[in-house]
Amino acid sequence: MSIFEYNGSALVAMVGKNCFAIASDRRLGVQLQTIATDFRRIYKIHDKLYIGLSGLATDAQTLYQRLVFRHKLYQLREERDMKPETFASLVSALLYEKRFGPYFCQPVIAGLGDDNKPFICTMDSIGAKELAKDFVVAGTASESLYGACESMYKPDMEPEELFETISQALLASVDRDCLSGWGGHVLLVTPTEVQEKALKGRMD
Amino acid sequence: MSRRYDSRTTIFSPEGRLYQVEYAMEAIGNAGSAIGILATDGVVLVGEKKVTSKLLQTSKSTEKMYKVDDHLACAVAGIMSDANILINTARVQAQRYTFAYQEPMPVEQLVQSLCDTKQGYTQFGGLRPFGVSFLFAGWDSNFGFQLYMSDPSGNYSGWKAAAIGANNQAAQSMLKQDYKEDVGREEAVQLALKVLSKTMDSTSLTADKLELAEIFLLPSGEVKYQVCSSEGLTKLLVKSGVTQPSTESA
Amino acid sequence: MECIFGLVGDGFALIAADSSAVHSILVHKSNEDKVLVLDSHKLLGVSGEAGDRVQFIEYIQKNVHLYQFRNGIPLNTAAAANFTRGELATALRKNPYFVNILLAGYDKGIGPSLYYIDYIATLHKIDKGAFGYGSYFSLAMMDRYFRSGMSLEEAIDLVDKCIMEIRSRLFVAPPNFVIKIVDQNGAREYAWRESISSD
Repeated sequence: MSIFEYNGSALVAMVGKNCFAIASDRRLGVQLQTIATDFRRIYKIHDKLYIGLSGLATDAQTLYQRLVFRHKLYQLREERDMKPETFASLVSALLYEKRFGPYFCQPVIAGLGDDNKPFICTMDSIGAKELAKDFVVAGTASESLYGACESMYKPDMEPEELFETISQALLASVDRDCLSGWGGHVLLVTPTEVQEKALKGRMD
Repeated sequence: MSRRYDSRTTIFSPEGRLYQVEYAMEAIGNAGSAIGILATDGVVLVGEKKVTSKLLQTSKSTEKMYKVDDHLACAVAGIMSDANILINTARVQAQRYTFAYQEPMPVEQLVQSLCDTKQGYTQFGGLRPFGVSFLFAGWDSNFGFQLYMSDPSGNYSGWKAAAIGANNQAAQSMLKQDYKEDVGREEAVQLALKVLSKTMDSTSLTADKLELAEIFLLPSGEVKYQVCSSEGLTKLLVKSGVTQPSTESA
Repeated sequence: MECIFGLVGDGFALIAADSSAVHSILVHKSNEDKVLVLDSHKLLGVSGEAGDRVQFIEYIQKNVHLYQFRNGIPLNTAAAANFTRGELATALRKNPYFVNILLAGYDKGIGPSLYYIDYIATLHKIDKGAFGYGSYFSLAMMDRYFRSGMSLEEAIDLVDKCIMEIRSRLFVAPPNFVIKIVDQNGAREYAWRESISSD
């Protein structure tokens, strides 16, 4: 068993028309034992920037706390929020800092940049960035997520359709993965508002 | 006589004084002043900007008020280059606390940690003290809204209304006269502007010579730090009767 | 083998733990208290390597006390849990402590809370949780019988059900258990469940 699969996770982000959505499952497990069904893997950095951290939950928490530390100091010094591209480089730098003893996390970053252009990207655990125009996935359910997203994704979806698509892709995928599931969290971010919804799925 | 004890900060004079620390306080006495007032629903900070030349570009939104964390801000009087160092350490301290405990740092603890840094420079090897006084305004879940004042020696204390910088003694005594218990934020702003207008050297008080910042709670329970725009400030000045509407256009 | 579990009820949280000190096939004692009263309103239930357990919880307890002495205000439960997690996470990549922790506390204005912190420093706020071999049985029992807002009587009844299940289904079941609770009146020992004398 890989250490990346210790807690189980499913993460996905999708780009729509001037908006994006990011979703995760809600399970926290220790191998096959379920500890909690209200776990969060998607964290807010600022109003238009979110990061999902799949993989080992403890490293996800440590990494998130270090990212908040760095982002807060940036905000105070610059008197503005960080751009998603800049933030992705920060995440990459923090991960590569631990090149020979990495955080066992695969991040998914999604945000709205200047003039509300959506940005999504993922990385491996040592910070190699992988930018995408359509969708990115991570976690123990990533194989099935790739399949679901590949067949369900369409470019330039409106927020409502994007929400439906990402939710269906997530729910379909976690049912084929025994380490993730128990419903999901979906965040739909448009230039004007952020909608957060909890999904109910197969609760077993 | 005193000169023998001037050169080092770490040596007491025979009268039991630390001259360098006193000189630092003297330096602050010439700097632009700042006033802080504690209200029931927030804290108000008002500062006087010294406009040295009209050619000078004011680049940043504020030059006397600094946000230290979401729930805490400070007003500065003294040497700005010294202040920048201290503000940076304060910001890092606040984030270190949040990193360790995942909650905002209590206001007094942050003031204390910064004053420990200041104190260090009045005791250890060959360095000069920071020529800075601060007014800290903040909110925490234990003690609500708070206002602290600190000086170069590293002393700090909590206040209902306090003044630092030029003419701080005059301002302080006016505050003592006019401060009423249980004032709201609006009244506190009025009082601060009134006191500052009387203690400032320049004859007319205009928005470009002032900075106003407030800390208060939003209905959601979130702490908000807000800097007043120069238009808002002009309106306030007219309202408080400190300036006439006609003079402001001049 | 080790069994530790806890739950949150109406206005209180409780932790129950076995009290066996075992090495290999030998039981050294059966009245080892594994639930520490951290401060006036916090309980720390710990399972894991015996040496690490004592060392780590003492370190946490002294630091929580130091905070209170220095600042005149106590740490709330969430802050204490995050502090504990932070220390465990820092140690994880240097010289890890093998300790699994349940932290229960009561805060004014917040109420009772329970935190799960495992030896790799995963932190999560929970209503019910367990560690050790006993978790296979106690988690199942709590999934079946737990509901939010249980009275103290109901909760103790559930704890007894868990202990009974462990004793009847776990081959290496420990004989004795201690139950501690924390509510607005503070953290304290509630009862022992002993099947052999520990004197």
